[in-house]
Amino acid sequence: MAEHPLWEQIGRGFVHHYYQQFDVDRTQLGTLYSDCSCLTWEGQPFQGKAAIMEKIASLPFQKIQHNITAEDHQPAPDSCVLSMVVGQLKVDDDPVMGFHQLFLLKNDSDKWICTNDMFRLALHNFC
Amino acid sequence: RGWEGPGAVGRHTAIGRSLGRWVPVAVIRMGDKPLWEQIGSGFVQHYYQVFDADRSQLGSLYIDASCLSWEGQQFQGKTAIVEKIIGLPFRKIQHSITAQDHQPTPDSCILSMVVGQLQADEDPVMGFHQIFLLKNINDAWVCTNDVFRLALHNFG
Repeated sequence: MAEHPLWEQIGRGFVHHYYQQFDVDRTQLGTLYSDCSCLTWEGQPFQGKAAIMEKIASLPFQKIQHNITAEDHQPAPDSCVLSMVVGQLKVDDDPVMGFHQLFLLKNDSDKWICTNDMFRLALHNFC
Repeated sequence: RGWEGPGAVGRHTAIGRSLGRWVPVAVIRMGDKPLWEQIGSGFVQHYYQVFDADRSQLGSLYIDASCLSWEGQQFQGKTAIVEKIIGLPFRKIQHSITAQDHQPTPDSCILSMVVGQLQADEDPVMGFHQIFLLKNINDAWVCTNDVFRLALHNFG
């Protein structure tokens, strides 16, 4: 993907890794967050890696599969990368649902971590 | 209603000064919400109000370093962004916010995510989602990053 801007390569790489890891074993997502990370999950705020991981690990389903419908990536101030994802997910045997999520990524000691994460199901939208 | 100017209620408070010129009086009184939430929700409310009333006036919210992704198309800088927004093919539009989330970022920016519905001209109501990254530059909050997508791919 040499012709894609760097921020798009970073954003795309992160997003694909995130959902792959989430679907296989979400308890392993901790390395993507730091102690100053914020997550807002369906309107509930969580601060710091420990609280975030506790929330993600305790979500009430066994299996989940995410599918990315569209993703946008932009360079953000202070050399960060901003990514927005629109997609669908399926949890256990529930019907498929739409979701959207954003990530703000920052480079910390040569590793890209997620400092801000917001997730909402697309329950309010019309098709 | 009523975006108070610099000389009115907000200016003598710390929040009013940080919010700059587009301070709605109601926001200042929400003293129990975190500052980033007040700023984020104030910005979002103002953005859609101006968008719906006269979107050609949105320019002051962007700077030359701003990025807009509109349905996957990229635009860079205030001029290109305003040109795209003005050139959108509808006369009237109404946005309705269903849900909004705001967070502070490590570099003192504010990140906002909006889920809502919109109706352009006589078209059917459609869902949309939009995110804004806000940065304080010279005492005014501007939008450095804006990403908009219609919710056409989502299931209801």
